[in-house]
Order: sequence, then structure tokens, then C-alpha cells
Amino acid sequence: MNPSTVLFLKRKFQGHYKKHPPQSPPQLNQREWGFLMFDPGSGMYRHKAFYNNQEMHEYIQAMVPAHVYHSTAYYEHPSASTMKEKSWLGADLIFDLDADHLPNVPDSYKDMLKSVKNETLNLIDFLLYDFGFKENELHIAFSGGRGYHIHIRDQKVLRLDSAQRREIVDYVSGTGLNRDRIFKKKTIEGDSKRSKVLMFPSESQGGWGKLINRKIITFLQILVDSEDAEKNLIDFKAIGKKKAIKIIDTINSPAQLEQMKNGNFSALSFIPADFWENALDQIIPTIKVNIDEPVTADIKRLIRAASSLHGKTGLKVIPLTLDELSRFEPLVDAVVFGDNEIMINVIQPSIVELKDERFEVEEGRNILPEYAAIYLMCKGAAEFMEVLK
Amino acid sequence: MEIDKFSNYPFLTRTVQYVADMGTPVDNILTSRSFDITRYRARSRVLQAIHGDIQHDDTVNFTVELLSYAVARIMVSCLNDAFLTRRYSLAEAKYAYHMMKQENNEVLQEIGEDLHIVASVTESGLFYLHFTDYIRGAVRLRSIQWKLVNRILNSGYVSITKEEYARLLQEAVRSRIIDALPLNVPDEFCQALEKYLLEIKASVDISRTEFDEAGFGNVESEHFPPCIVHLISNAQGGINLAHSARFALTSFLLNIGMSVDQVVSLFNVSPDFNEEKTRYQVEHISGSTGTAYKPPSCTTLITYGNCYGKDKLCETIRHPLNYYKRKKKTGSAK
Repeated sequence: MNPSTVLFLKRKFQGHYKKHPPQSPPQLNQREWGFLMFDPGSGMYRHKAFYNNQEMHEYIQAMVPAHVYHSTAYYEHPSASTMKEKSWLGADLIFDLDADHLPNVPDSYKDMLKSVKNETLNLIDFLLYDFGFKENELHIAFSGGRGYHIHIRDQKVLRLDSAQRREIVDYVSGTGLNRDRIFKKKTIEGDSKRSKVLMFPSESQGGWGKLINRKIITFLQILVDSEDAEKNLIDFKAIGKKKAIKIIDTINSPAQLEQMKNGNFSALSFIPADFWENALDQIIPTIKVNIDEPVTADIKRLIRAASSLHGKTGLKVIPLTLDELSRFEPLVDAVVFGDNEIMINVIQPSIVELKDERFEVEEGRNILPEYAAIYLMCKGAAEFMEVLK
Repeated sequence: MEIDKFSNYPFLTRTVQYVADMGTPVDNILTSRSFDITRYRARSRVLQAIHGDIQHDDTVNFTVELLSYAVARIMVSCLNDAFLTRRYSLAEAKYAYHMMKQENNEVLQEIGEDLHIVASVTESGLFYLHFTDYIRGAVRLRSIQWKLVNRILNSGYVSITKEEYARLLQEAVRSRIIDALPLNVPDEFCQALEKYLLEIKASVDISRTEFDEAGFGNVESEHFPPCIVHLISNAQGGINLAHSARFALTSFLLNIGMSVDQVVSLFNVSPDFNEEKTRYQVEHISGSTGTAYKPPSCTTLITYGNCYGKDKLCETIRHPLNYYKRKKKTGSAK
């Protein structure tokens, strides 16, 4: 980034911050702040603390950082330079969902963000139904970059240490899931006889049990509904024609299906264990949520401030309610800069998809609307030349 | 809870208050003839804790049992030895656990409330508690069944059996005791207890030596835990290790006494081997910058997907270094 680009971006960010400064997190005076500047090689400014909004606004409007972060932690002395002197009091519980941590993300920025949003919604299901957080306790934000953040400030979680938070991570990611407890052959004592039945968790159980029950049933239904159901089933080890037909009949019976929802799979007890193992191998990755795990376990992390601008995209960190999240279009709603024409010198051929527009630019001189030009300059893919209006 | 149970749970807020209200001067307990038995019971508590479990003593009465806990804590504080404090806190907590298991639901709930692990009892007799309270205790328990992911978590609450609840309380008792030690005790107290302290110290020293002998002499690779064996074979097979795996392997090898050179040469076959960079990183982990890193615990290894080939011994340990120590100990005894 050359000096004239730095100057231009700083002027634009400053203009924005004068009208719309970043938001303060709760307990502002117990937070540490950190900043990265546009100027190359200037390193990170850390251990800043502010006592009120005005102080924070004035600092940011004067310094115009490229990235604005505050601690997820609360400290007694947030501006002290060592952790020991800071004296940790607690920390918000944070989830960071980022395209970098998702398998098979699409290349296009728009599609990538769509798949991260989906993952975020899956995580929110865990947080609401399993962990019992209330909707208004989930502080969701578009990160301005490649994903979403969720902050939780419920009193009960603030004092959890890193190992305890890791248990939460392991829960949502299915790490350490004990498969022996998922499906088991249970001996049932009847009036006159004992019989072994195959039990799965029931749908009403909640948590992983509920999800596994649902997905196992869907998995079986998809197998059975396909045109070559019989042939597909026979492809599994130890399933012959007779068993295949029996499986199809069972899944197609509404009464049996009801039993299975309650966790009773006894009608399918004849299916070998390999089959169920294989089914779980396919199902578990679709239930687990992919988050940036160390972020949640870290109790002394810096996180991007709400309503600040992301210095690598020029997009705004937008706080969202759950309702807003489902309608949110990051590449439209997080764009803050205008349409003035800017001439830039493109260094890397790039594609910009913003505000429902698509610009494909080659190396050299290009004229783009300000918001797209700023995006490329922030990315380091272009240098500023001049404002054309 | 009836008062006669207080001596079983001397760490509870109500019990502490009860003892304070008794108003017996501490120096009296530490010096007077009439408290000989109390001091002797305190000595037994500590000595038994060093070598295993605190045993119930039928011959002592309520007051002796109750006050001996206070005296035992003074003894531990006088010696102020981290090893002793750990052992003692664990043994007191286990002692309490054996009694808690036998309590009725109401007493157990009362203890839980005092330890801030509040539970209600469901119609089916299960204990129902918030997940944050659950993980505060469960995180220290190594068996996989304690992991939150293997529990039924619904609207923020988990249900566990009475015995499991008592086990969680044991952890909370241990934390409460260890967090309060050492107490700030005046020198006179320690002088009064000197004859006991000498005996306890000698016992600690013996126990510690046994422990150290089981420690790390020469590096014996046949005693490595399966995760480390797996990582070494990957590293030597030229497979690029994730950062967390590299860290786990490096810190483990350095901790059992391998040199920086030996560790660096192990990575020499990695596809992206860069001697200078590798050496810098290994030296950093070894503590050349002032902080030496311990290898990650089993829990962390599991979280980052670096736990491979778990075997029976793994079930009994929480940390890969302990696997190595144990195996070496049993290996050399053969």
C-alpha cells in the first residue's frame, strides 16, 4: 500500500467515523483496545483503555486505524501492559465463524458468506435449544470480512476458564462424542421372554441425540426412496436381498417410523453394526458446527468492535438480531461508501461483487465506484490514483 | 443438615461458622493437653493423605473430628509445600465423597448449594443442573462419559445421577480446599506443632522421591503414548504436521529430556523443513525466551484432533507426560 493510498483510505475512514463512530461494548472501562494502522509496518497498538464513549470516539477519529479491536475480557486495569497486572475479571463467550474454517467453501465471496451464514444458523440452534441461551442474549455481528461473530455476555458464562470453554467447543463440534452411547443393544425383559432391541436416542431427547435420531431416519428414508433402493442397500456389506426388502418395508411403515422416532429401532436390529457406523460417519459431519475453535477457548482475545470498519474490505461490522441475520445481505448491507468515480491502478486482476454489482478488473488503470475501489485498495489489490467525481 | 454431620463436611460455610461460634482459641487447640487427640487425628489426616486415602476413625468424637480438620490445614500451611497441598486437598475431597454418596438428596443439594453447584432433583431421581455448573467440575474428570457432548443437554441443563453429582461435588470440594491454602499462620502456631511437622515433612520427602524416581531419566521411546508415536511416524514419513500437532510433539520431546538438536533433526524430513525456522521454534518452546512450554493435556489433544490410537493406559491419565512416566515405572519394574 503506497502513501497516497494510505492517505486516501484514512481520509475516507475518518469521514465515516466522524459520523458513525464504533460502538462501545458493555463495561467499556474494563476493556482493553487494540488497533492496527494502515501505515505499513506500524505494528499493533495495544493496551489502550477508554473511560467513556467520547474518549474512544476521539481517539479513533484522530488515529483512524484500519482495524479496531477490543478485548473479550474484562480487566481491573485494562491498560496495564502485562496480563498479570491487568487482572482478569471474566470474559464474554465468543464464537467466530469464518470461511477459513469451513470445509468445501465456494470461491465466490458472496456464496462463501452464504455458507458461513448457514453454519452460523446451525450454531445458533445449538446455542438456543441445547445451551438454553435466549435469543436476545446472542449478540450476532457480521465480521466485515469472511464471516460472523457471536458474543454471549450471560453472567453464568463470564467466569468460565479456557478448559471449560473448550467443553462448549467440543459440544458444538461433536469432538469426543462417544458412539457406544449413541446406539446400543438393550435387553428388554418382557412378561415371558427377554429380547435384545436396538436403541438410538429418541427425538424428544434434545441435543445431539435428537439430531442424530432425525438424521439417521432421513438417511434411511433417502436410501429407501431412491429408484435403485434395493440395489443400493445390497451394496452395503452383509446386506442381502432379503434384508434389503425388509429394510424398505420397515422404513415405509408409518407405525415403525413412529417407533424409530422414539429411539426404538428394534425392527432393524438385524442390520449389522458396520452399517450404522458408516451412517454415523456420514451424519456427524452434517450436524457438527465448524467454528474457529481457539477463539472460543481463548479468554484473553481481542475481537473486532461492533460498527467499526474492516481494514481489509472497507465493509462495516454490523450487529444483527436473529431476525435481521436471516434477511441480511452482507455485500449490500455492510457497504458504507458511495458511488463517486475513483481511478485506481489495479495490481492484481480481481473480481468485486458488491451492492449486487459485479466488476471484473484487469491490471492497470480502472475507474470504479468508490465502494468497490476502496474494497480493492483495502485488499492490497490496487493503489489510489485520483478522484474523478 | 443435622449438626452431627458437620464433622463430615468441615469445609462448608455453615460448618466453618459453627466452629467459629464454638470460640475455642486456636493456640489452646495447638498446645493444650486436652487437645492431644485432636492434634493426633490432624496428623493422621495429613499423613494418610500423602500416601493415599484418609481413613475414618471410629474412636474419635464429633469435636475432635471437626477441629482436626482445622489443625490439619494449619499443618499443611506451615509446611507450604505444593506437592503436599495438592495431595492433601485431593484426599480430603475423596474422603468427603465417600460420605456424600450415602447422603439423601436434600443433604446433597444443601452441600451443592454451598459449593455453588446448584441442582434440583427430578421426579425420576436425577439431579438437574445448569451446564456451566456441570462443566466446572466435569472438565477435570478424564473419562469420556463426562464430556458435555456425551450428556443430554436441553435448554442449558443436564441431568446426572446422584453418584455423579457427588463426584462433581468432590471436585468442587477439592478446589475450595486447595484455593484457600496455604493459610496465613503465625510462626508460633508452627512452632507449637513442630514435632508433627518434622514427621510429615519426612513423609513428604519419601513420597516425593518415589515420585521423582518414576520421573524422566533416559529417553525411552517404547514408553511413548500412542499419539506421540503417531506424530513421530508422520513427521518422519514426511507428512506435514498441523501447527498444534507440531507443538504437542516438540514440547513433549523437550519435556522428557531430548535436546533441541535431536528434536530439530526429527523434523528434517518434513516437506517444508527450514532448519533455521525450525530451530527458532523449537528453541522458543524449550524456553530460550523465558517460558518453557508444557505439552498440551489429553483434553487439548482431543480437541485439536491430535489424539490417536488411544489405549487402555490412556483411560487412566490426563496428560501424555504421565503416560510416559507410568509406562517407564512399570517397564523398569519388570
